[in-house]
Amino acid sequence: MIKRSFFGLVKPKLHYEVIDEAPAEPVSITGVKQTKLFIAQSPGQAGEEMLKVGDPVKAGQKITLAPDAKAYATAAAGGQIAEISDFIGLLGKKYTMVTIDGSAGGDPGEDDAFKALSQSPSLENAAAYLAGLPGKPDFTPFFDKEKKVKAIVVCGADRDLLTTTNQYFVRNNIIAIKTGIDLLCRITGISNAILVVPQHLEQVAGSSGAIVKTVDSEYPSAHPELIMQHLLAADEGKSAAAGIAFFSAEAVCAIGAAYSTGKLPMEKIITVITKDGNQRLVSAPIGTPLQSILSEFGETLNEGDRVIFGGPMTGVSVFRTDHPVTPDTDAIIVQDAGDVMERTDTACTNCGECIRVCPVNIQVNMLIRLLEAGEYETAADQYDLFSCIECGLCTYVCESRIPVFQHIKLAKHTLESMKAAEETNA
Amino acid sequence: MHNTLKLTVSHAPFWHNGSRISSKSSNIFLASLLAVVPGCLQYGPAAVGVVTLSIATAILWELAFNFISRRPFSIGDGNAAVIGMMLAMMLPATTPWWAVVTGTFFAVVIGKEIFGGIGANPFNPAVLAVTILMVSWSGLFDFNAALLNYDFDFMAVYPLVLSKSFGAGAVDSLSLADLLMGKQIGGIGATFGLGLIVGGVYLMLRGYIRWEISIAFLAGILVAALGFSVANPTQYAGPGFHLFTGYTLLGAFFLATEDASSPVNFIPMIIYGLIGGILTVMIRNIGVHIDGVLYAILIINLVNPLLDKIRPKAIGKGV
Repeated sequence: MIKRSFFGLVKPKLHYEVIDEAPAEPVSITGVKQTKLFIAQSPGQAGEEMLKVGDPVKAGQKITLAPDAKAYATAAAGGQIAEISDFIGLLGKKYTMVTIDGSAGGDPGEDDAFKALSQSPSLENAAAYLAGLPGKPDFTPFFDKEKKVKAIVVCGADRDLLTTTNQYFVRNNIIAIKTGIDLLCRITGISNAILVVPQHLEQVAGSSGAIVKTVDSEYPSAHPELIMQHLLAADEGKSAAAGIAFFSAEAVCAIGAAYSTGKLPMEKIITVITKDGNQRLVSAPIGTPLQSILSEFGETLNEGDRVIFGGPMTGVSVFRTDHPVTPDTDAIIVQDAGDVMERTDTACTNCGECIRVCPVNIQVNMLIRLLEAGEYETAADQYDLFSCIECGLCTYVCESRIPVFQHIKLAKHTLESMKAAEETNA
Repeated sequence: MHNTLKLTVSHAPFWHNGSRISSKSSNIFLASLLAVVPGCLQYGPAAVGVVTLSIATAILWELAFNFISRRPFSIGDGNAAVIGMMLAMMLPATTPWWAVVTGTFFAVVIGKEIFGGIGANPFNPAVLAVTILMVSWSGLFDFNAALLNYDFDFMAVYPLVLSKSFGAGAVDSLSLADLLMGKQIGGIGATFGLGLIVGGVYLMLRGYIRWEISIAFLAGILVAALGFSVANPTQYAGPGFHLFTGYTLLGAFFLATEDASSPVNFIPMIIYGLIGGILTVMIRNIGVHIDGVLYAILIINLVNPLLDKIRPKAIGKGV
């Protein structure tokens, strides 16, 4: 954990992780018997259920709850469905967790539904089959009729601290990124592709053929919102910011590989940080449960420890030891119970640290007063609640240790669900 | 397949820079000792008595208020102790015990707790309390009378009284170096200028006080005092005199910078400090009061919420 500098006059500087000249090969996690997948739909919503316990699943198969359901997950390994259960994620979002047991029965083989389609790449089959790939490619901006996508931005820089997944792909696999970018440009018909990388990777990135832009090594400059504002809007005017589709370098590699081989690559690159502070790059199939990864490094979990999926600033702490690796899990951090910093409900003392650190100039001291009082609408109208890019820095520096980020998330969620309710009732 | 192992679950971020209110309080406390210890050496055991009584009763008032308002005990954050210290720094060494206890009551209970505790006070609690004491028992703050029985090796007259009553010529004989080294009478922690400056610079460098406020406050003093002395050199003393006498340095580094009652954005902080400095000199030179620092600070505390409306525009979609 990076502490406050002795000279508090200087702003806290949190630097992104930089990987060395020759990064160590990732440790492969193999022989995982059970994998778990999340489908962004609760079992109850599926109506007449299609998925049943005991159904065989092939490797690479697209799993939906009902035949015509939109939400899907992609199985990394074959087997039998052992369990279908409810899962409540952050802010009450409902998921179905499907457990696939690979130990029972013979090998069901590989799914070839995508292989047939891979000969004729198109946006439609990419959206229908590739959203479960590592890096979680998001094709929804291309189907938005109101905002036309004008540029594809590939993030070769990592969003959060300590994570190195995207850098790893830029450094080791720039050819695959080039393949992926070319393919994306072909299927979307957009020629404007921009590769955003940290400064030390600028030279490597040059061979990708895309326009290369660099970001600072200081958090949160690689945040998509800030990339949009600082790098793109400055060049092409504010209107450019409207139609941008973001992809991570990992996702682009995976898309490229999927179309060139006809097989879905399901290995996710994760930075694993154990309690002793050691960092390792790990390659694990999507769906690998947490304990399978930790047992590889002999890490044991005790009562009160905290396990974070994602980076230290924006990740999510998980509550079960079998929580699976998802397509967007870039890091897994294990914190000892003793290192967990308590948050408090002490009032804001108006010290102003949050204001000096906020990358988008929000008056956090006023915002938090309104949020604590539940005045969410006023917060949104007068104190720029929706300008927040959710970097977590205000909470990192807060002297009163107020969970500011949590208040902001809750306020946004509450307002958004109120708006959604109004729209459905109208 | 749930097992019984309970993991800690909380919201991001999972890191913290380790700062806490109590470490800020202890640093301000330590910095203030640089001025209080020389003050105690100068005024002897009576000053030690005032300082310790003030700190102790400030903590006890907060504890008592926590108890009757059934709120969690907040004395651990050290804010009450700092308020007690600030109050004692402004008092003369001979202040009677009942005035100290009443002062800490006004500071902690009236100045802070009834508004909701730390962070909610509209005025600097210690300044508010001293002002109330000053208005109620003005005799207590007649430094010349209060410190009459002391035997000093320098002229034992409160410098601001001299300049106010007899004009700039009366204070010509005071050397700035002597004033800076505490060879003047005044509040326990307000006379040793060097200690206040070192303590203030330390706090600014460590980021525990906002340097913009202190610098702007001092700049305001200098500019206004210079203006007055240029306009009428026989009546108004120069900027150096105003800088090292009364509560100026204490106000600039310890009082005006109090978190809850001061602005947080750059331009408001500068305006806030400048107004404070200019008002101080105006009250001293053309007002009825001897020292203007406390009234000036109360007034800038009052305009703080308005000043903080001057803010940078948020970047992004919300705008």
